[in-house]
Amino acid sequence: MSVTVTRSNKSSLTIDTPVMPAAGVFGYGDEYRDLIQLEKLGALVTNPVTVSAWSPSSGTRVVPLESGVLVHTGLPNPGLNKVINTYRSMWSRMPIPVVLHLVITNAEEAKRGAARIEEEDSITAVELGIADDLEASEAAKQVAAFVEASEKALIVRLPFGVSADFAEAVIDAGAGAVVLYAPPRGTARDAGGRLVSGRVYSPIVKPLVLRSVGQIVRRVNAPVIGAGGIHSAADARDYLDAGAVAVQVDSLTWINPKMLEIIARDLGGLVITQPLGALPDEWNPGMGETERRRRISDAPTKEDP
Amino acid sequence: MRELILNIERVRRVNETHQHLILSADQALLNLKAGQSLLAHVEGSSAYLREQWFPISISKSEVVVERPADRLYMPATTVHVLSMIGQPFRYRRTLRSVLLIAYNTSPTPLLLSIPALLANQVGVTLVLLGSAASYKTEHIAPEIEVIIGDADFNWANRVTTVGWADQIFITVDPADELASFRKLWALFNQLRNEIPKAYLFGVFQPILPCGVGACGACMIRTKSGTTFACTQGPAFDLAEMHLT
Repeated sequence: MSVTVTRSNKSSLTIDTPVMPAAGVFGYGDEYRDLIQLEKLGALVTNPVTVSAWSPSSGTRVVPLESGVLVHTGLPNPGLNKVINTYRSMWSRMPIPVVLHLVITNAEEAKRGAARIEEEDSITAVELGIADDLEASEAAKQVAAFVEASEKALIVRLPFGVSADFAEAVIDAGAGAVVLYAPPRGTARDAGGRLVSGRVYSPIVKPLVLRSVGQIVRRVNAPVIGAGGIHSAADARDYLDAGAVAVQVDSLTWINPKMLEIIARDLGGLVITQPLGALPDEWNPGMGETERRRRISDAPTKEDP
Repeated sequence: MRELILNIERVRRVNETHQHLILSADQALLNLKAGQSLLAHVEGSSAYLREQWFPISISKSEVVVERPADRLYMPATTVHVLSMIGQPFRYRRTLRSVLLIAYNTSPTPLLLSIPALLANQVGVTLVLLGSAASYKTEHIAPEIEVIIGDADFNWANRVTTVGWADQIFITVDPADELASFRKLWALFNQLRNEIPKAYLFGVFQPILPCGVGACGACMIRTKSGTTFACTQGPAFDLAEMHLT
């Protein structure tokens, strides 16, 4: 089951399974090699990479919440050049497409990043991370700057809660798909009593994003990828039902890495589902729960003519 | 790295502040060394992230983990653990005396090292400073010299114990880790003319969301760059660290 998750502009991204890790949870590729079969995932989305090196944030980085976690890492990374040089050979051997998550702060950086990435065959597509407080017009400028300098398939991860107008602006500027959304930002007290701001990962994020996916999918003419709060295959399926072409799984990967693979197997049709008492022609190996549900919903009912 | 499913066989209250969880053994855990830990999710627990568990003894029949007494654990509960997290403590080959220090936290991450050190005829001194002084040590091997100190890093025979130690491992309150290590680094700079490499180790215990070096939340700064506390820690040579 192949899914094309970006518009077919200059190039497009096609994946076998509509499930991938979200940027920032999976490392650069081989961190989970002992726990997850990478080939079962749709794509690898790397940790955020900036054009020049960024240092880790100082102070508290993780605050456990009632039902979730607040994380503020400062997006530490050694910079685009070093990341590419370090991981190029591993990415070339990856059984799945590599989507590099590039964080940009202005159009100039977008252009420089695009030019560097364009030279790399090991990177299949780019997911652009843009600042949370950006106006739609400025975000569109940055996307346009990237598109001008690169032929790679481009996904843009939108800041939490932005409107359909914002999504339309970046799509018009050349984004092949949008991810709804980056994790929301929040503030919480750490064990030492200090207030810490960071991104919030929690199951509660899912209903908020799911509503936006349903609304924005109807407004934009590019694929939408749902991300936020997925903690089960049913959660992921909800995003597909709302119109997303694929999903990104975030903090569940940390707390239960195997579940990422299980969700990917399920939505990718790799789980063999044989309903109790089913006749032989009512199921087949390779038919996952998603496919079975689709067949049930597509089956003619008594009211059908 | 493996994901294992273990059972809590028994829960034993060892003192007012701590309890021991006796877990079913797994062959894969027999290779776990002092310094390495488990990331555990207890079935039915409301905790979102996995807890970092430091075993204090491992045998073919059981694994014993020390946890604070204020957490509720029930026998016959299933635990999903990621093992093994981190690297073993790096001991010198010619080791005669080791100083273990706990400051404002329990010495739990240091305890698994004790049986192996004693078996190799290494003298072990445990210094409990600040709130660690309330940690009850009845369950610790009697061969260990336990010294209680205060929150200002004063303890009996301080110069002698530091002078005798070939290596020192320190654990501090994770909520104020860098500041505490800075203070201790300053103290040892006063106590010794020169702090050699591989002598003074800080045992870092940041909260670990992933445990595999993927999330970047436990990244720490060293003089040669950055590294992950989860995959390369928990013990780091303080002479190699940026403690700001």
